[in-house]
Amino acid sequence: MNVEVRDLRVDYGEVRAVDGMTFSLDEGKIYGLLGRNGSGKTTLMSVLAGFRRESGGTVRVGGRPVFENGKVTSEICLIRDAGETIDIDKVDDALYFAEWLRPRWDAAYADELLERFGLRRKMSVKAMSKGQRSALGVVVGLAGRSPLTMFDESYLGMDAPSRYAFYDALLADFMAHSRTIILSTHLIEEYSSLFEEVMIIDRGRLVVQEESQTLLSRGTAVTGPADRVEEFTAGLTVLNTRRLGPTASAMVYGDLDEARRRKARETGLELGPIAMQDLFVHLTEPSGDAARAVPSEDASADRSGDTR
Amino acid sequence: MRFPSRLLAANLFFAGMVWAAFYVVTTLITVAIAVFGTLTHSVWEGATQVPRWFALFVGVAMIREFLPLYIAHGQTRRQFGAQAAVTIALYAPALSALLVLGYLLETLLYNVAGWPQELARAHLFASPTDVPLVFLEYLVEFLAWIVAGTFMAAAFYRWQGGGLLSIPPGVGLILLGEAAIGTELQLPFIQIPLDVTSTPAVLTALAGGIGCFLLGLAMTWSIIRDVPLRNRLA
Repeated sequence: MNVEVRDLRVDYGEVRAVDGMTFSLDEGKIYGLLGRNGSGKTTLMSVLAGFRRESGGTVRVGGRPVFENGKVTSEICLIRDAGETIDIDKVDDALYFAEWLRPRWDAAYADELLERFGLRRKMSVKAMSKGQRSALGVVVGLAGRSPLTMFDESYLGMDAPSRYAFYDALLADFMAHSRTIILSTHLIEEYSSLFEEVMIIDRGRLVVQEESQTLLSRGTAVTGPADRVEEFTAGLTVLNTRRLGPTASAMVYGDLDEARRRKARETGLELGPIAMQDLFVHLTEPSGDAARAVPSEDASADRSGDTR
Repeated sequence: MRFPSRLLAANLFFAGMVWAAFYVVTTLITVAIAVFGTLTHSVWEGATQVPRWFALFVGVAMIREFLPLYIAHGQTRRQFGAQAAVTIALYAPALSALLVLGYLLETLLYNVAGWPQELARAHLFASPTDVPLVFLEYLVEFLAWIVAGTFMAAAFYRWQGGGLLSIPPGVGLILLGEAAIGTELQLPFIQIPLDVTSTPAVLTALAGGIGCFLLGLAMTWSIIRDVPLRNRLA
């Protein structure tokens, strides 16, 4: 299902959690939703799922408004840490209602996932560890096969093998049953290989929305003698600079054309990739306006919300 | 609208288990009183003070557990409201039937043992075997207590501490239901004789119960119709 959001605003009393967000998501892709704590990720997904009403703007999923629209919301699944879908007596009870309320529920797949995560139907949900609760949320989210499926930090408390089991299951099921998936996470490096496209939000605003490979290609680490690095990066958007003795390493955001790359090589500078997590940290730097870190042509596109 | 079979079945299954445990405990107390003291009245009658509190918490769970569950599974508040209303409308009679069954089993026990099964309070019914009136009295009571639970739970869910303001109207719903059956309201440490009418007609009681049920549903709906799901439950 595609998603169209225009000038979305969400207020909690005096606090504006989402501030004029505009974007669109295509059908059949895995999106990464990245943002610092309190940036508005959960609020945004809650509105997309019809968990709460928008304060302003429009939200359309599959071309139709979402809030209190059963034809649309029945095709959307959001798994949050709050555990709405699993906070019931036993695992069996959670699946009993999921099977009944989810139109595309795959019971056999749910059983397969339970086994993969080491969960049993008779387990009491309240007695489960945090990681087991998260795993049960993943089971409900994946076996629901909703055309728009969202996981909001669904890895919380899960150990590394369980998280890898989640990534593998997600990818395999996505290949078999294509749908739109949004993953919100703070484990950026672990998740980044899953993302086809990335949205970075900060203080309720969309900072970047790009194909993940394009986003990664926009970041370059320039390393070499400090004076040459400084000269080379003059006029470029420098996210961060680190110095070690006479050597400096600068993170540059923006496309470097072939001429510049050649110049770097000629002056003995090394050009390398930047990890998505580093890009994220610097693009959402709280000390300044995140949008300022984005080159001018991108920033103007961000304001219109059409960053693609 | 889809029939809420699973919501109803889950609640009825739980109620059946609780009733069985409750009946066993009450019977043990009855036997203990007969053996160690003097049994002059129906113990089940006194015990029926408890199930209405259970009914109140069924109403609370309907909002606190099932409303978020439904919305998170892609149902609308309207769909949930309709399914919850049908569930309560069928659940309250089932709960009432279980209390009737308790009275009948007690009558059997008292007859076999030769104990007097006197009633200590005023009721719509004069005898525990007057099944239709026993059923009606508890039906009206359960309808009122369940919707009072949904209303107050909805207010607490939406406004948290502000939900305290829902307690007076919630208690008002309960009083309305109790007034419809013309008995007295027995709360812990409080006994309020209502005396609205000493022996209300069956139709008056039924109309009062249904009115209370519909009013409670309307009051609950006014709160949940656009309630946002909370990120975390306290």
